[in-house]
Amino acid sequence: MGYSSSLIQRKFKDIVGKRYESVLKEYSEFLLTDEEMLVPEVRSILVPLDSFVHEITDEAIDVLSAYNATISLAYITDAGVLDLLEQTLDRQSAEDFRAKKEADGRELLERITERLKEHGFPTQTRMFVGQTGDDVVRMAKNYDMIALNRRYADGEATDLSISPTVLRICQRVETPALIY
Amino acid sequence: METVALIAVAVFLFTYALIIDERIHRAVAAMLGAAIVVFIGIVPWEALLEHVDFGTIFLLLGMMIIVNTARGSGLFEYIAIRTAKLAGGSPIRVLVLFAIVTAVVSAFLDNVTTVLLLTPMLLYVARVMKLNPVPFLVTEIFASNIGGAATLIGDPPNIMIGSAAGLSFNEFLIHLGPIMAINMVILLGMMYLIYGRSMRVSPGEQKEMVRTLDGLDERAAITDRSLFNKSVAVILFVVLLFFVHDQVGAILHTVLPFVDPTMGLEPAEVALIGAAILLFWSRQSPEEIFEKIEWPALFFFGGLFIIVGALVETGVIASIASVMIENINSTGEAMFIVTWFAAIASAIVDNIPLTAAMIPLIQNLGATMDIYPLWWALALGACLGGNGTIIGASANVVVIGIAEREGFHISFVEFLKVGMLVLFVTVAVGFGILWLKFVV
Repeated sequence: MGYSSSLIQRKFKDIVGKRYESVLKEYSEFLLTDEEMLVPEVRSILVPLDSFVHEITDEAIDVLSAYNATISLAYITDAGVLDLLEQTLDRQSAEDFRAKKEADGRELLERITERLKEHGFPTQTRMFVGQTGDDVVRMAKNYDMIALNRRYADGEATDLSISPTVLRICQRVETPALIY
Repeated sequence: METVALIAVAVFLFTYALIIDERIHRAVAAMLGAAIVVFIGIVPWEALLEHVDFGTIFLLLGMMIIVNTARGSGLFEYIAIRTAKLAGGSPIRVLVLFAIVTAVVSAFLDNVTTVLLLTPMLLYVARVMKLNPVPFLVTEIFASNIGGAATLIGDPPNIMIGSAAGLSFNEFLIHLGPIMAINMVILLGMMYLIYGRSMRVSPGEQKEMVRTLDGLDERAAITDRSLFNKSVAVILFVVLLFFVHDQVGAILHTVLPFVDPTMGLEPAEVALIGAAILLFWSRQSPEEIFEKIEWPALFFFGGLFIIVGALVETGVIASIASVMIENINSTGEAMFIVTWFAAIASAIVDNIPLTAAMIPLIQNLGATMDIYPLWWALALGACLGGNGTIIGASANVVVIGIAEREGFHISFVEFLKVGMLVLFVTVAVGFGILWLKFVV
């Protein structure tokens, strides 16, 4: 370090004291760090859907548009509910329920796919019966990001709380998760 | 020269050398020098109290309390984010807006706090724009020194001059305000010519920058909304009171007939009244606020006043003044010498100790000439002279110190080239205007 630099550092220390550290701390609470400023490379995004998700919000589409990624929509019919129906009613009731949910799912997938295509997203769809939590955690390993609706696998609650299943998924996956 | 005079000069030069080199804390160096002249008896107790300018110290103290209380609300971070967002992704607009905001805030609050709080934001914006932050930082330094020169409370040399000469806030604003406004325009033009070409970004980068900055929420910077509102209100009240501090009696007399209409408030009283109101109104813990006061700076000022007092007591200042009087034939000539000596010396010595030494010298000249224009010459030279080198003013040290910590080196020579150009142009413009006002 040259004389000029060491002189500046001495004078800076005497004039500013410890104030700069506290200023930096205050700023760090709302300014992005260098790492945060880098947009991570995201090429595939998993968007789990079920009968409680009715749309993908504009805000979510805005965020997803920051990445040049393929979006995989996965409509999952809860196997646990079908089992419960079969045990408490009969097999036919469970099959009727499943057929109804899958028809709803197809309609939802078509609607969302069309909307995403309007925004220029390459989109894939799939539909299956499975565990709404465990299967998402398993599938997430093959994607760069997951986008979860706050009502996913929850119910028709009208408040803004986040579904417990969504929170559990977020706790278990290593993949970055977006909740919309 | 008598022995005591020689000792006083030696202590003065030794202390100033310590301040320039700063291996010992400037406050300690000033206190050590003061201790020597007091111990030897050059400055006796009664004289010591006369030489310490409590007007300056209490004004600084009051403003430190106000600024440190307001800081806790996130006010400065809010201003920084709003400024960044207003720039709309244009580097030139970032440079201009930050320079203007820095100059305006520096005119009313202390330069060190202003640049300390704005520089991290400026570095962040430069990082977002993927541009070299040096042009922005250098412009911020110049803007802070120019803005600070515009008012009585903007820069320590002005505070010292205002207190010693009994000048009002409005006098500073009338005589120096327009000069500094013109100098700001000139500065921005110069910075554009020097750095403009290196500040180009593609439309894509500009869009990206706008998106990143729009993502910042200035409201998130406000940590205490109530304190924020109270701080803004008190700062505005204090600034308003500064405008009328010498006519407060006349204003109050219309409502309260028992108030003496000739009464005026000293700037230090205004600052302390504002500090008291803000502390009372905000209910902030006084212990926490008083801990944040820059006590070393206040002791630095106190020590300097005593060291310079030793030169006054021993007749050194009077001797220099008499030599000047013999060789100077007019006020215009004195203005020229004071302006340019203060400007060039301020670039080397730091403008605070220089002003402390120049004030009694000018007071001594008052016996034979009109020294009123000389106060403005001194303020102009001392404040704008600080732009010359990286150690010329505290704002320079703070900004360059932060830049170094963040990995951006601004060399002494690199700054000197631009700083000296700015110094000569802005001082020449200011001197020309003062000349037209007081000499022609």
